[in-house]
Amino acid sequence: MSEAVDSVSVDEGRGGGPRTMISLQQVSKTYPKAEAPAVRELTMDVPEGDIVMLIGPSGCGKTTTLKMMNRLIEPTGGRIVLDGDDVTDVNADELRRRIGYVIQQVGLFPHLTIAANIAVVPKMLGWDRNRTAKRVDELLHLVGMEPGQYRDRYPRQLSGGQAQRVGVARGLAADPPLMLMDEPFGAIDPITRERLQDEFAGLQQQVRKTICFVTHDLTEAVKLGDKIAVFGPGGTLEQYDTPDEVLTRPANEFVAEFVGSGAAVRRLSLLELARLELDEVVISTGGAPAGNHPVVALDDAGRPERWLSVPGTDQPPPLVTVPLTGTVYDAVDVMLDAGVPLVAVVDGDGESRGALRWQTLIGDLRAKRRRP
Amino acid sequence: MTATTETAAPAAAPQRRAWWRGNLDLLVNPAVVVVGLGLVALYASTVDFDSVARRALNPAGLRRQTIEHLVLTGVSTLIVIVIAVPLGVALSRDAVGRSRGAVLAVGGFLQALPPLGVVVLIGFWLGFEPSSMILALVLASLLPVLTNTVVGLRQVDDAMIEAARGMGMTAWRTLLGVELPLAIPVMMAGIRVALVLNVGTATFGAFIGAGGLGVPLFSMLKLFRLDAVLVIASLVAALALLVDWFGAIVERLVAGRAS
Repeated sequence: MSEAVDSVSVDEGRGGGPRTMISLQQVSKTYPKAEAPAVRELTMDVPEGDIVMLIGPSGCGKTTTLKMMNRLIEPTGGRIVLDGDDVTDVNADELRRRIGYVIQQVGLFPHLTIAANIAVVPKMLGWDRNRTAKRVDELLHLVGMEPGQYRDRYPRQLSGGQAQRVGVARGLAADPPLMLMDEPFGAIDPITRERLQDEFAGLQQQVRKTICFVTHDLTEAVKLGDKIAVFGPGGTLEQYDTPDEVLTRPANEFVAEFVGSGAAVRRLSLLELARLELDEVVISTGGAPAGNHPVVALDDAGRPERWLSVPGTDQPPPLVTVPLTGTVYDAVDVMLDAGVPLVAVVDGDGESRGALRWQTLIGDLRAKRRRP
Repeated sequence: MTATTETAAPAAAPQRRAWWRGNLDLLVNPAVVVVGLGLVALYASTVDFDSVARRALNPAGLRRQTIEHLVLTGVSTLIVIVIAVPLGVALSRDAVGRSRGAVLAVGGFLQALPPLGVVVLIGFWLGFEPSSMILALVLASLLPVLTNTVVGLRQVDDAMIEAARGMGMTAWRTLLGVELPLAIPVMMAGIRVALVLNVGTATFGAFIGAGGLGVPLFSMLKLFRLDAVLVIASLVAALALLVDWFGAIVERLVAGRAS
């Protein structure tokens, strides 16, 4: 994948804002014989390197929008600009070879080997045999499948999760700058789905593609998305913003209802402690109060043992810990369970990395910059 | 996606196993033919055929009639494929819509006509010769190939087609590279039905001078030489089985990797 990483990092100057990879300009779709348009004058810019999650109730036009980006569905109005080129009227087949495409049912061709499935687009682009074979192996490695073991298998010999990995590899085959994914993990059992999502997030760290991703699962959208586009009935874009914004400041009634009354709690389970600005903890061997910060005593191994003093309390509460890899939800769970107003956050070695206080939680919970 | 602990799919079939190993079932058909013909030969050796029956059963004549029979079957089936496959592809397209039903109904009508009547009518119309017989066979066996082509292509998972188009395959390339290969098993089943049907129907060629194994068969029947009829009918049956077997082999070769 070195090609992709290089090409992206060259373009993406740290200072200058990200370029727009694909831009929809007043794009509409009205199906023949339909009264109302499925998508109504949609304008949306997808920045390079971002994952944009398209979400909304069924029939809201999210899939139609995705398929208009590679013109599997021809828009009836508006312009589509891909990487600076107006592609509204170019040859659709050639356009699609420049855009990765992954669908829910995977759609691996059962009569072709895994290698041949991944090589479909490179073959159409006229790559020579060596380059294609090298690329196939590279991609299989990338998605965690041993090429020697899987290259010559057929799709029916794969599990659902493996097939979807190959589907993603196939979408990446010609190293397209833009990937479209139509509920790629929708038909997979919850446990495997979660693992695929984690793998996918890791993969994206490496390849840094611009990705438009249709989902109906809000949790998935918040977990994977840099931005979320919430579609409303009638094919309108109700809100297009970061997951945090969508959850905490829904743009209107519809979005608020869509993210649900449990949005605030849902958000807790999506906030990883590692991503938060934690409360500072003073480590002390003495016992003197240290201003406004809680003071913790360590045991011989350097792990937090007990609170020596906690601001706002006369008697320090018992010490409970959560791992840094947990979420705010876990921290709240521990606090409620132990009946304490704060919890120490520890890393993998058990050393203190800070604390999370109830006061902070209901007050000003600040996330670190999402992508440092 | 990093290291995965997901359980591997059931052990993959050995990559380059001997081809015949997976196709042992193909030996059943010829075995039945050999055993069956052997039994018939055994029975025939116990029968004292008279001179009339013996003339009908002379090896040189039977060989010639078998070849005529195969030509009638083979040529008519080829013509059926040439007509029905492209027509079926056309009918399978979404744009065709309603006329699909109409065309298939016409095919069904042709199929429903009694073959013997059609053979004789075409014989009177176009002359008593093999080409008339071939036309009759084409009409009688068009439908299975046509319907199976349409059905085979229509049953290809839409996800395959969407994936193909979504990756930038042209409609034509999707048809040749994805749809047809996936429809081959169903299409081949139709072609095999047509072949077997034609082997049987071709015996009626005797009535319009088109030759084939029907000639000795019906003459022996008329002359009430039932032992001879048994032998010739066994030959026709064996021919049908072998032709079907041939179709099965072709099917494996064409679609072998897909199933």
